[in-house]
Amino acid sequence: MFETVLIANRGEIALRVLRACKELGVRTAVVYSAADADSAAVRLADQAVRIGPASSRRSYLNAAAIVEAARQVGAQAVHPGYGFLSEDADFAEICADNGLTFIGPPPAVMAALADKSSARALMSRAGLPLPAGSVAPVATAAAAAEVADAVGYPVIVKAAAGGGGRGMTVVRHPAELARAYARTRAAAQAAFGDDRVYVERYLTEARHVEVQVLCDSHGNGVHLGTRDCSVQRRHQKLVEEAPAPALSAATLDGIAETALRGALEVGFVGAGTLEFLVDAEERFHFLEINCRIQVEHPVTEMVTGIDLVHEQLHIAAGVPLRWRQEEIRLHGVAVECRVNTEDPERDFAPTPGRLERFTPPGGPFTRVDTHASAGYLVGPWYDSLLAKVIVWAPDRELALNRLERALEEFDIAGPGVHTTIPFVRRVLDDAAFRKGRYTTGLVDRLLAPPSPLPSTAPSPLPSPTPAQRSTTTPTPRAAPAAEPDVSNRRTR
Amino acid sequence: MDGQNGRPDGDARLDGDGRPAAQTAVAADGRDDVRPDGRHPADGHGETDADGEEVLVGLRRQARHLLAELPGPVRRIRLCSGTTVLEVQWHPDEAAGRSPVPPTPPPAGATPPAGAAVPGPPIALIRPPVPGRATVRAPIVGTFYRAPEPGAGPFVAVGDLVRPGQPVAIVEAMKLMNEVTADRAGRVVAILVGDGQPVEYDQPLVELDPA
Repeated sequence: MFETVLIANRGEIALRVLRACKELGVRTAVVYSAADADSAAVRLADQAVRIGPASSRRSYLNAAAIVEAARQVGAQAVHPGYGFLSEDADFAEICADNGLTFIGPPPAVMAALADKSSARALMSRAGLPLPAGSVAPVATAAAAAEVADAVGYPVIVKAAAGGGGRGMTVVRHPAELARAYARTRAAAQAAFGDDRVYVERYLTEARHVEVQVLCDSHGNGVHLGTRDCSVQRRHQKLVEEAPAPALSAATLDGIAETALRGALEVGFVGAGTLEFLVDAEERFHFLEINCRIQVEHPVTEMVTGIDLVHEQLHIAAGVPLRWRQEEIRLHGVAVECRVNTEDPERDFAPTPGRLERFTPPGGPFTRVDTHASAGYLVGPWYDSLLAKVIVWAPDRELALNRLERALEEFDIAGPGVHTTIPFVRRVLDDAAFRKGRYTTGLVDRLLAPPSPLPSTAPSPLPSPTPAQRSTTTPTPRAAPAAEPDVSNRRTR
Repeated sequence: MDGQNGRPDGDARLDGDGRPAAQTAVAADGRDDVRPDGRHPADGHGETDADGEEVLVGLRRQARHLLAELPGPVRRIRLCSGTTVLEVQWHPDEAAGRSPVPPTPPPAGATPPAGAAVPGPPIALIRPPVPGRATVRAPIVGTFYRAPEPGAGPFVAVGDLVRPGQPVAIVEAMKLMNEVTADRAGRVVAILVGDGQPVEYDQPLVELDPA
């Protein structure tokens, strides 16, 4: 095992990795930006190195600064968390060149899988079913139209290098295609420096189901079951659960086994996630593979009892997997929701500010992963994830009740600060969600005016007031998001 | 997890070149009972603030004299007006090479958790800047060098006048030399970091008395 690991991230995931390292007797070092000098991770780490100003481009995305910090602390390995440099093959290679173990897949595998187009080609060769569409990027608007005509509308135009919910456009009519094609290419060039796009059939009422895999460097791998992440806004997840509900055991097993086969065939090493869309007939289609730990990993930990960050560290240190597939057992149901500082009434716009109150819930089988505390300043520089509430129960109904109870306890307040808690509570109240029969269209449906249900009648939008208590903020209807598609992609 | 910042391979790397550092400890009041940590045994002596300031001025003057006479690059200076101690460590060889591996890192700028051993001050820091005085700060995390190349004269020395934009040091990060320039005119009062030492982003490097 490593003696010292450098944690190249911030927020709750830095704390999560730090805890795993400490539990394994590994010295911890964190990097931090000038904005995070007072963070919990900095306080708890054995060492911390300030690597840059608040701007993530000059701190958490600054590969040179992070490698310098790793050298300064004598780290043997770098854990990138999620986001930032976690799926940057160049960074992984720079680490290797400097004698550092990047905790993730080999750089060449990452490079091949980071590109959506080449990942599709690789997985197609490995026998995974893809959504209908172009495997290779389409070079002209005419070629895009040809693909769209062949697979049928609606289609989605996606940047090969896309991520973070950016670089994709849903096209519902042939007349819109040429413009959408040009716009997506331009956006992809601006955001990712790569204007290649491809076209695939867009499934409007699909489930987003993903599979957690662990693969070691000796060719062994296991899958840890499925997660359903269909509750998304702006292609970003809000509620996740394990296992995916209301699917047949044959479908769940089929997705999981297919995913593991794909991961092993492309030489994946580490903790990874293969994402699929599942249609109403329970046919599944491979979307992409994520080469990192994910925000929603705790639900898998709760149903398997396996600490995924521990496993990442073991795998990176060259330890063979400690389980065979038949030893993996899934128990009960786990549900996670993200508590973001966002205003669901203003298209989930971030609402940074100082938290005057922050009292997370407690109770049995209730886990809160957070870096925040009372007095914490949610700055404008980074993402809006404030906490994750994860609950476990023997069955789904009790798990949902437990999550409702936990969210009711969660007290967060600060001037101008809103959270996603009221919106998540609406999701938990939704009848289709309760039955486990929901799709990526759920959030749009909840946001669509007007509601015929008197029990959730709209109330006027309250203007933010000092110390507004977000847990009790009414959640009136809002106009639908400008971009109605909420599938096929999310960040973490 | 002991909260310390030592490296597993020991202090030999502190020099970067594998050689031991020369060391001396000078008690400014002539006493010779300086402990290894540079402090006098407790003797109940007290000082007024004015006395302390005067002693500090004297210590600074002594430090400047010592620096001018040292046979090799400075490794560490310790000034301590409360117990009147001046301690200087230096590399014995003038031609001491650059460190291929940076030495012991500075610890976090944050308070350690309760119960953890309290890390010492960053090894890179010769002394903290005087509050309110102008400083030139590190533009990036890396290794601090006073001279453009090994064996060359330093960019600036204590007492030099600098103008805005003038290079005063370099910070090496990932084999790239990042020039550090003064953002104002002033006289160099102190070099706050030892040559070849690791520095964090925004760490004060050079103290200036604005001209």
